[in-house]
Formats: sequence, structure tokens, C-alpha cells
Amino acid sequence: MGDLLVDVLREAFTPTTAAFALAAIGLNFHFGLTGLLNMGQAGFMLLGMYGFAITIREGGSIWLAVLVALALAVAFGVLLGWPTLKLRGDYLAIVTIAAAEMVRYLGRSQNFNDLTGASTGIRGNEFKGPFENLSPFPDRMVEIGPFALHGTRSTSWWLVVVAWSIVAIFVVVFWRLSRSPWGRVLKGIREDEDAVRSLGKNVYSYKMQALVIGGAIGAVAGVIWSLGASVQPDSMGRPTTFWVWTLLLLGGAATIFGPVLGSILFWSSLVLVKGLAALWIPDDVLSQQELEPFSLVLVGITLMGLVIFRPQGMLGDKRELAFND
Amino acid sequence: MKRSLDTRVALRALVVFLIAAVALTWLLSTQSTAVATEFAGFASASSVDAAGPPAVSEALALTDAKVATEVAPTPEQTAVSESQSRVFQNVFNGIVFGLMLALASVGLSLIYGTTGLSNFAHGEQVSLGAMLAYFFATDQPVSIPLTPWEFVIGWPLWLASLAAIAIAGASGWLQDRFLWGKLRKRGIGVVQQLIVSIGLSLAILNFLQWWIGPNRIRLSKAIEVRQQVGPIQVGAITMMSIVIAGVALVGVAFFLQRTRLGRATRAVSDNPALAAASGIRVDSIIRLVWIMAVSLAALGGILMALYDNGTKFDVGAKLLLLMFAAVTLGGLGQPYGALAGSLVIGVVVETSTLWLGPDLKYATALGILIIVLLVRPQGILGRAERVG
Repeated sequence: MGDLLVDVLREAFTPTTAAFALAAIGLNFHFGLTGLLNMGQAGFMLLGMYGFAITIREGGSIWLAVLVALALAVAFGVLLGWPTLKLRGDYLAIVTIAAAEMVRYLGRSQNFNDLTGASTGIRGNEFKGPFENLSPFPDRMVEIGPFALHGTRSTSWWLVVVAWSIVAIFVVVFWRLSRSPWGRVLKGIREDEDAVRSLGKNVYSYKMQALVIGGAIGAVAGVIWSLGASVQPDSMGRPTTFWVWTLLLLGGAATIFGPVLGSILFWSSLVLVKGLAALWIPDDVLSQQELEPFSLVLVGITLMGLVIFRPQGMLGDKRELAFND
Repeated sequence: MKRSLDTRVALRALVVFLIAAVALTWLLSTQSTAVATEFAGFASASSVDAAGPPAVSEALALTDAKVATEVAPTPEQTAVSESQSRVFQNVFNGIVFGLMLALASVGLSLIYGTTGLSNFAHGEQVSLGAMLAYFFATDQPVSIPLTPWEFVIGWPLWLASLAAIAIAGASGWLQDRFLWGKLRKRGIGVVQQLIVSIGLSLAILNFLQWWIGPNRIRLSKAIEVRQQVGPIQVGAITMMSIVIAGVALVGVAFFLQRTRLGRATRAVSDNPALAAASGIRVDSIIRLVWIMAVSLAALGGILMALYDNGTKFDVGAKLLLLMFAAVTLGGLGQPYGALAGSLVIGVVVETSTLWLGPDLKYATALGILIIVLLVRPQGILGRAERVG
């Protein structure tokens, strides 16, 4: 029981949680501010991690790698937005989900084995070096309170610090931008596109900016995720996008801390549910390997329940809803 | 008026399909002649005898027995007919695949037409059908989640399939009765419903994995013997699947075109408010559409499992985007458009393996989807209307 509590608390601050919070902040630009149904956030994340990992593997510096990751996400966003931002919302949903899957299919295709490593992906030791060399933490296990993490390698204290700093930066960025005139135009588009158009704003261009910025944040999230694990195309399939959506809606779309709170709650409660189920439900009813799908069934039901009964999430304001048709 | 419109729509579909077919054969023939001339040039340069090597002439004998026996094959002919037979085979496979895809996407399109919902859980209805059929048909012990008992059902495949389709249909009724109907009544917008359907798809997908397990399963142990029919190879199970899929699709068309209920369905699809005003019970029509759509998807899942010689809990999740591509290509909400779109997508997906690796075949369909949205967002059959 005590171990479970430590596990749950540990999950609350792992780099994965930070990466998903970041991806949700990106999605918050799309959906929360602008009302865009981007169902391909995992595609942005995957492109980001490919750009980062491949650049470093080919000998680029870490800053160049981040730039490449961002550039890929920007290009992807422009490419996606160009045909679809003039269309109705559900078209954007279909196209983004299709495009994200296409990125994954191309990434795991044997044709690009030399570049992307096909379905095995890119192993951590091929691209984590430069990042880990920057670490000021010792190169061994470090215990802080009940939590033991490595100082430098993979899912490390170094990555935790960097990941949450980036999350903090983007929370501030979101806060400032959403309160700016630019953010108000986006909210206007979300509420009534035609009204904003009649004020002489170029709705298409604003939507494109939101899509690109959110996508770039998604790419950064992908980079952080890959630094904690490895580049693996199949881990960035549709379920990943859906998780980002679930945790954004859980925390509250269009809110400043919603994505962060949502991510922490989502991943901690997933660990909690699995732990409790393993403790209380006998093994012949729910075996160890059935725990994962079981908990994901609960995620699906949570998403449905949230959207139906509390679309504003935990922190949101019922009057400021991102859903409109 | 209605009539003439329908024939026009059908004509347009035919024209588009013909153009696609012509373009495809043209592309392929230029490619194969390129190969052939290369081959011929090579042959003359090295002055090989007119008779081809045994392996090649054997392949030729398969495709065109007469030529093989009467005329000594030249290398040129061999190259052409060999690549052509591959093309024919792939196009045929594509049509079969497209028919099965159509079973699923017609339902998706009907649901979109009558309710405006892009149902992201529709792929899971396909998997559900296949998994249910497996559950009833397999001779392995099965169990129901959260119950400790294991038992063997082992029904014959036809009975299992019928049971699976019936249960799937019932689940469609349940879904509309207790989920989508309620949401509509509460006035929840289609965007919210779309995200609800995503939640539902996550739930069903993982439920199926929990229930059936992550391994590839087979509905039937029979090994299909393929026979040569003209330029293509086809087996009995495939023929049967084509017939069943064809009958089901013709049945849907008959229903939509000739029956009162079908006409009411099209009316709701056109304009729900107007349909309600003219005395059609919109909610029962939508419920019927849900039952139909889910049963058709289940049938598609079962046939696809037989055709592919196996299936998996996430088969539908992979198909979902192809369905969306087909439905968008045909025009969202147009059932015949979904049929035409599915055939095009099926053929494209299968023939793309001639040039690209098989692991990229779904990617081509998604590419088409994006191009269609760029060029003609209302689809082949959709009316030109503002969709933004």
C-alpha cells in the first residue's frame, strides 16, 4: 500500500507526465483557444522526436536538433492546415488523424529503415548523449525522499528538472498569449468565426498560427518523451492523441493549469487504478496482463463521461466552453 | 426529380470510376511496356533464343494457356503478361477488399448523413463483429471478462456469424437507445459527440483486447485452395465473401431506394427537420440506421477476417481511417458515395503494393484522403456546398 502511494506520487512528476502536459498545452492552443479539432497531436510529437533524434545521430548539436524538431512540426502544421482550415471542424479532425497515422506508417516503413529505424525506432543511446552530457547532476542513482531516480540517464532527475521547467515556461507563454489581443481573436474564432471575420480579421491565418504554435509545442513534448524513453513510432499512435485529449478535457480546456493538472491526475490515477485492481481483484478474474486494457477501458469511459457531464473539466468555466459546432 | 438526380449521381460515380480505371491501366501499361522494351533490348543484345526460360513460360501458361501452347513465347510477351496478371490480381483483390470496406463505410456514411456524427467508434464495430464470431465459433475455451468460468461454444461458422451479427445489431440498438439518443435529446453538439465516440472507441478497443487477447486469431481452420480464373487466382471462400458482400450491399441499396423506410431514411439524411415536419419519426429512423450500420460493420469484419485468413482485436481501428477516406472521397453522408469511395480506396490500396512496400499501403489511402480534401472537399458524389 505504501509502495503504491510512492508509485502514484512518483508518476505525478515523471518526465512522461510533463511531456503529456506539454502536448496538452499545445492542444490547448488548438482546441481550448481556437476550437480546432486536432486529432493528430501524436503525429506532431512523433515528428518532433524524429527530427531531434535523427539530427543528433547524424552529428548535429542539441540546439540544431531542437530547431529541426520545431521546423518539422511547423511544416507539418502548415501542410495540414492549408487544405483543411477552411473546412468544417470534423474534416480537420479526420485529416489530422489521418496525417498523424501517415507519419507513423512512413516512420515504421521498411523503406526508411536507414533513417527512422523502421518499427524498432531509434534506440536511446543513439541520441541521448548530448543532452545527458549537459547534466549537472551526478552520474548515479540519487534518492530524494522516497523517490529514487538516476541523476543523469534516461528518466532522470535532470530530465525531470528540464521537462517541468519547459512546462512552466509554456504555461506562462499560454497565459500571456491567451490574455493578449491575439488570444482574444482566437477565442473569438472559437465562439463565432463569422463575427470575427466580419471584423476584418483573417480567420484562416489566425487558425494557422494557432495550429502551428500548438504543433510546435507538441514537438517539444515529443522530444521530452523520447529523452525519457526512446523513439518508437508505435507508441505515438492514435491512443496517444486520445490520451492527450482526455487529460486536457479532464483538467479543463481553455484553462491555464488545466493541461498540467489533467496530466498529473491522469497518469497518477492510471497507476492508482492498476495498483488497486492488482491488490483487490483476484488474479483469476483479472490477470496481470489484463490490467492494462482494463484500465484503458476506464480511460475511454472517463473521456465519454467527462464530455457528457462535465465538458468544462475540473478547472474550466461552464460559460467558456470550447465546444461549438 | 428525385429519380433523375439519382441517375445523375450514379452516372457521375461511374464516370469517375471509369476514369480512374483507365488512368490506372494506362499507367500500368506504360510501365509494363517500359519493362518489356528493356527486356526485349536485353534479349536481342544477348541473342537469346525466342523461347523463354522454363520458369517464365510456366508463368505465362498460367495466364494465357492458348498463347503458351500455340506460339513460342517471346520475352516481350512474357514480361507484359506476367506483370499484367499481377496487376489484374491486385485490382481484383482491391475490389474484394473494397466491397468489404464498403460494408463498413456505408454504415458510417448513413450515420453521418442522418445524425451529423463522424463516428470514430465505427472501426471498433467491425472488430466487434469479428471477435463475436470468433467467440462463438472457436473450439478454444473462451470466457467473459470479470467472470472466472471458461467454456467452449464451438458453433459452426455460419451460425456463429449470424449470432455475431445479431448481437452486433443489438449493440447498435443499445448504443442509440442509451447513449446517442440521449445525447441528441440533451442537445449535445456533434463535436462533443465526436469526442464521446472517441472515448467509446478507446473503451471498446481495450475491452476487446481484454476479452479476446492481443493475439491474431482465425475464424476458420480451412485453408483456401485458390483456382485460376482467367488472369486471376480466386478461392471458394473469397467468392462466397464477394457474393455475401454484394447481396448485402444490393440489399441496402434496395432498402434505400425502394422501401418506404428507406425513403424515409434518405429524407432524414437530406433534412431532419423537414422530415420530422412531414411526419417521419426521425428518432426511430436513426435507431434503425444504427442497427443497420453496426450489423453491416460486423458482417464486414467477419468477411474480412475470412478473406485475410485471420484477424485481431484492432483490425477495425486500422480500417477506420480507410473508411473515413472512402466516405470523404465519396462525399460525407452519401451511402452510394461510400460504396464508390470504398472501391476506389480498395483498388488503390491493393495496387499500391506494386510500387510501394506493403507496409505503406494504408498510407496511400490517407494520402488520397488529403488530396481529395484539397481538390474536392465535398467528395465525388457530394453536392457542391459550402463545408466551411
